Amino acid sequence: MNTLTVLNVIFITDELFELQVERGDVQFEPGACVALFNNGDESRPYSIAAGSEEDILRFLIRRVPNGLVSDWLAQRKPGDLVQASAPFGWFRPGRSVNGERSIFIATGTGIAPFLSYLRSYPLQIPELCLYGVRRLEEGFNLKELQNLYNFRLALSQEEVSSHFHGRVTGLLELIPLATDIHYYLCGLDTMIDETSKWLEDHGVAYTQIHREIFFYEDATL
Amino acid sequence: MKMQRSDEWLNTSQNEPRGYIQPQKLDELWFHTGTNCNLRCPFCFEGSKPGDNRIEFLTLKEARGFIDEALELGVKKFSFTGGEPFVNPEFIQILDYALEHRPCLVLTNATEPLMNQIGEVLPLRDKPNPLNFRVSLDHPDPVKHDESRGRGNFRKALDTLGRLHRGGFGVSIARQMLTDEDSDTVDQAYAPYFENAGVPANLLIIKFPEFHLPGSLPQVAEITESCMTRFISPEQRATFMCSFSKMIVKKNGQCGVYACTLVDDVENYDLGNTLHDAMKQRVLLGHHRCYSCFAGGASCSEGS
Repeated sequence: MNTLTVLNVIFITDELFELQVERGDVQFEPGACVALFNNGDESRPYSIAAGSEEDILRFLIRRVPNGLVSDWLAQRKPGDLVQASAPFGWFRPGRSVNGERSIFIATGTGIAPFLSYLRSYPLQIPELCLYGVRRLEEGFNLKELQNLYNFRLALSQEEVSSHFHGRVTGLLELIPLATDIHYYLCGLDTMIDETSKWLEDHGVAYTQIHREIFFYEDATL
Repeated sequence: MKMQRSDEWLNTSQNEPRGYIQPQKLDELWFHTGTNCNLRCPFCFEGSKPGDNRIEFLTLKEARGFIDEALELGVKKFSFTGGEPFVNPEFIQILDYALEHRPCLVLTNATEPLMNQIGEVLPLRDKPNPLNFRVSLDHPDPVKHDESRGRGNFRKALDTLGRLHRGGFGVSIARQMLTDEDSDTVDQAYAPYFENAGVPANLLIIKFPEFHLPGSLPQVAEITESCMTRFISPEQRATFMCSFSKMIVKKNGQCGVYACTLVDDVENYDLGNTLHDAMKQRVLLGHHRCYSCFAGGASCSEGS
């Protein structure tokens, strides 16, 4: 167990925030999760959004109404202490074997592991990065992501010029299909299910599809 | 830590000698890969959940030592449970080493940790020894299964079960057993799901009773030495898991040999740091889960 000091809590909307904490001696690979605890013994896993060389840890969190952990984390102030597990995980975006290529598809806070990867390996960019949120204000780190030449944003509940209006799965036809590409999906379960099925239906091997479900709810993204 | 031999432990509350099993042989060695799990099931008798560290990740180096020692003792099989074994970052390497020597069994929830690594798992079918998977499908009703394990996880586990079968591995399932159930009817209710997944209709189904959360103390009858000799024959005693198996558990940075897969929450069942020492020690049947074995023959093993 690690005790980490809160550096900052940055809200981008009323319910979405980035929690920044001191890194201490935490070592991790992009895609790793950490279980963060409230002031009791309840914990929830959050994916690290920081790069592996950064001095701090970043977590992208959605404040769940009456949530046992997210609500408590949202109320932290700089200098507060947060208990955290050691990093762990089974999702390793972009972990290339024999130079294989990657495609990232995320919804909501599911962009966190991909941000971690992009910040850790800025020269190893994916073939395509698709990101779905409801409204423009809910997109985390959009300036950073829009620097990628192959980034596409989908807004399901807002029309904004230059961005796709609709769910991110409306952009699946953009995805290149090849046997040397690994497909990494993170976020809402329905997006992951739909995208996995679309990929398999289009001949992508099951072993090339990697999934990380962050939340279960009615599809709105 | 060695088993403590206090009077309270050696005797029941009625001051009768507590029943015990004298280990006979080491046919099967279990490894606990850690209580870290991708799921958070409220009934989990291990208390496993994301980030949990009650039982720590076993490393390849640690597992190799016990695998090698178990081979000296004539072990026939290695089995692995968690937590979810595929959350352990060194698990596939551990499995790879174990399969060089003996058949292996892995208990898994067959969701994302395994799904994401199945490309690394499939080549294990070419190892010298067979690999079997036991997938948790708690109920033959997806809604009931998903109530505890999370939405969509019945479908995912069933899908992975089929992929493992088609990949050339042996498969079985584990389910929960209710006290008043008609077991045959419950088992038969899985048939349409097995058919959809493309696995044999007569797939082995391992049933587990309620084991309660770690550290809980449900009221059960105490097992005396007299119970074990009057009601249980020597042949039956030999079928108790603690007679022919042990489990490796890592706590506080150190591996210990535990009496069986169900008693890692009581330190009295830590039988020491080596299998040779552990096999010499009587296993006192003082855990409430021991009563499940006594009364119902509960066993995590599938035989050799």
